[in-house]
Amino acid sequence: MSKTTAPVCPSHLSNVVCALNSPTSHAACCYVNHTVSFFFFVCASRRQDEEGHVRGHHRTVAAFGCPLQRSPPGRPVLLGCRSPEKETFTCRWEPGDDGGLPTAHRLYYQRERLEGTHECPDYRSAGSNSCFFDKSHTSIWVDYYLTVVASNSLGNATSDIFKVDVMEIVKPDAPQHVTLTAEDRTDSPSLHVSWEHPPNVDAGSGWVTPEYRVRAGRRRQAGDAADWKEYKAGAQTHFTLYGVHPGAAFAVQVRCRLDHGSWSSWSDASYAEIPERIGRDGPFWTSLWGLSGFLFLAAVCVAVTKRKSVMQFLLPPVPGPKIRGLDFQLVKSARPEDFAGALLIRRDFPPAAARKDGAIEPLIVSDVDAGVQPRSGAVSAGFGWDNRQKNNGGERNATREDGDGRSSTRGGDADFETRAALESDYSRVKDVTADNIFLLDSADVPRAERLPEDRGEAANGKTLSFRKESVPSERRKKLPPARPPRAARVIDGGYVDAIPTSPLGETA
Amino acid sequence: CNRKSGYRCMSHVYMLDRDEVGRLPSQPILDDLSRCRVLSLANLFDRVIQHSARMHGISNDLHSEFEQYFVPSRNHVGRISRNCHTSNLLTPNGKENAQKIAVNLPLLPRGKDPLWHFHQITAHQHDLANFSSDKALEMSDMVHELRKGVEKVAEKMQTLGMISNSVGTLADFLPSESGGWRLMKDHELLYCFRRDSDKIKNYLKILKCRIVPEHGC
Repeated sequence: MSKTTAPVCPSHLSNVVCALNSPTSHAACCYVNHTVSFFFFVCASRRQDEEGHVRGHHRTVAAFGCPLQRSPPGRPVLLGCRSPEKETFTCRWEPGDDGGLPTAHRLYYQRERLEGTHECPDYRSAGSNSCFFDKSHTSIWVDYYLTVVASNSLGNATSDIFKVDVMEIVKPDAPQHVTLTAEDRTDSPSLHVSWEHPPNVDAGSGWVTPEYRVRAGRRRQAGDAADWKEYKAGAQTHFTLYGVHPGAAFAVQVRCRLDHGSWSSWSDASYAEIPERIGRDGPFWTSLWGLSGFLFLAAVCVAVTKRKSVMQFLLPPVPGPKIRGLDFQLVKSARPEDFAGALLIRRDFPPAAARKDGAIEPLIVSDVDAGVQPRSGAVSAGFGWDNRQKNNGGERNATREDGDGRSSTRGGDADFETRAALESDYSRVKDVTADNIFLLDSADVPRAERLPEDRGEAANGKTLSFRKESVPSERRKKLPPARPPRAARVIDGGYVDAIPTSPLGETA
Repeated sequence: CNRKSGYRCMSHVYMLDRDEVGRLPSQPILDDLSRCRVLSLANLFDRVIQHSARMHGISNDLHSEFEQYFVPSRNHVGRISRNCHTSNLLTPNGKENAQKIAVNLPLLPRGKDPLWHFHQITAHQHDLANFSSDKALEMSDMVHELRKGVEKVAEKMQTLGMISNSVGTLADFLPSESGGWRLMKDHELLYCFRRDSDKIKNYLKILKCRIVPEHGC
C-alpha cells in the first residue's frame, strides 16, 4: 500500500521558496529569486513494511505555470558616506527586497543653507548603489540629509534619513608609490622608506594635514609577513628603519589620515631584502691584510737577525760599578782571600784631587816602631779593612766586615802583630786644627776584647773627634821616629781614629 | 610692553605655556615684561593652530558627551531648523572659497569676530556650565585666548607689511544681534561650536601655508 506524502521541494536548489497552492493536491509552486517559478507536482509513494522501514520512493515531477509572486520593494539602507580628500564624497546604500519586479533606487538630499530637495548628481562614477558628489556639489561644514527611495511598479520604499557633514567622513586613500631602499652603512644597515601622499589630496595648501604611519614586518616564506611593528611618521613622506638584520626580507606598508579623521587602508606591501654584509670580505680588504702580514714577517726577520743590537737598544747594559782604586775585574775573578789585595791597589790613594779641596781627607796614621814592613794602606774613618785580612784568611773577613771589632780567637799574637804592623803604617797626627768635628757615637764603636795593658791610655772610646779640615804637613806618609809602641791609639779592632786628647800632641 | 619699546614686544607669548592638561598658568606671561621675547610669524602661527586644534578637541569631547547623556533624535529634529548663527559667516562653498575667507581672517575687526561671539555665549550659558563645568569653562577661556592669538597674528602681519590696516571687511557677515544665541539649545550650541572650531582651525592652517609655507605645509 503506497502512501503519498506532502510534496517537498528539491533540496539541491537554493533560494527556493515553496508555497503550497492547494491543501488537497500534492503540488507546490516554488520560486527562485522571485522570478523563476516552476511547479512541482510530486507524487511520492513510500512503501513501508510492517516494521516501518522505508522500502522505496516513487516520485513524479511535472512542470506547470505558476502564478507570479510580486510585491513592493523592501526598504533600502544607507550604509555610509566617505570623502577621500575633503572635496568630494560618495555615499552607498544597500537595496532591500525588490519584490520580484524591476526596482529603481534614487537618492534625494536636502542641505543646510540650500533650498529644496535635490537628486544625486552622479549614480555611476562610484559603482552600483552609490551616489558621487563632485566638487561643485560638495560643501563642507553644512549638513546633508540623504534618503534613498526604492520603487517598482507596485510601490515605493524610503530609507531612513541619513545626516552627514563632510568634515566627519574624511578617509583618504592609501599613500602611493611606496619605495624601499636598503642602505648599507658601516655597521648597521638600514631601510629607507619613502612614499607620496594619496592621489587627489591637496597637501601643500593647508586644506588638509596628512599624518602617516608606517609598519614593517619580517617576510615569511609564504610571502605574507608577520610581527608587524608600527611607527609614527608624522607629516613627512619618508622614514628610516634601523636595526634591520642583513639577509632578512621585509614587507613595508604605509597608511595615512587627514586632520584626525579616519585612517586609510594600508598600502600594498612593498618588499625589500637586506643584502649580506660584504664590506669586510672584499678584495681591497684581502690585499690589505696580506700586505700587513708580509710587513710584519719582514719586521720579525730583521729583529731576529739583528737581535743583539735590538737587545742593546731595548735593554741597555747596566753600567758596572766604578770605584776609584778598585779593579772590578779583579774583584770579580779573585778568590776571596785575594779580596783585600784587589781592594788595596793603588799607592796613591787617596787621590790627589781629594786633597786639594780640603774635603774629607783620609787620615793616615802609622807608627815606625813596629818594624813591620810598610804596607800600603787605604784608610778612612770607619773603614774596617786592614792588612789583617790578608794574613788571617777569609773567616776573618767576615768579622772585620761588619765591624764589630771582635778579634778572632785564633792567634792572639798574630793579632798583636798585625796591630803593630798597622801601627807602623800610620803617621801620627800632629795637630788637628780643623773646625769640623766628626763624632762617632759610642754605640757604634765596639770594644775589642783583648787589648794589651799598655794600652791603658786608650781613649775611653766614648767620643772621637776627627777634624775634617786639612791637617798640616804631618799628613804624609813617613816613618816617624822610633818611640814606644803605644802612640797609635787603635781602638776596637782596627778602626783608626783620631783622638783629640793630648797624647797625640805630645809626640809632635 | 608699551609702544615705546617698539613692536618687538607685540608678538610675545600670550597663551602657550600651558601644562599638559591645558590649564592656563596662574600668572599670565603677558604681564611679565622680563620675559618678553620675539617670536617669528611661523612660530606664532604654529602656536595659534595648536591652540585651535585643542579647542576643537575639547568641543568635540563636549559634544559627544552631551550626546551620550541627552540623545536627541538626530535624524529628524532640527533638520532645517538648525541654524548656527555663525553659519552666515565663515561658511565657504568649497575649498577655494574657504581659502578666500581664510586670508581675510586677520582683518576681522575686534569685537565683531565670531570668536568674540563665542566667548560671550559660552560665558553666559549656565546650563552648559552645569553640564560639564570644567570643560565649559576651559572652552570659554580658550575662545578668549584664541581670539587674542589671532589678533597677535594680525598685528604681526601688519608690522611685516603683509596686510593693510583695513577694517570691517566682513562686518556685514555678522549677525546684527547676538540674542538669538540664547534661544539655542545646549545641544545645538555645542554642535555649532564644534563645527566652527574646526573651521577656525582650518582657516588658520590655510593662512599659515599661504604666508609662511616653509614650515610643514
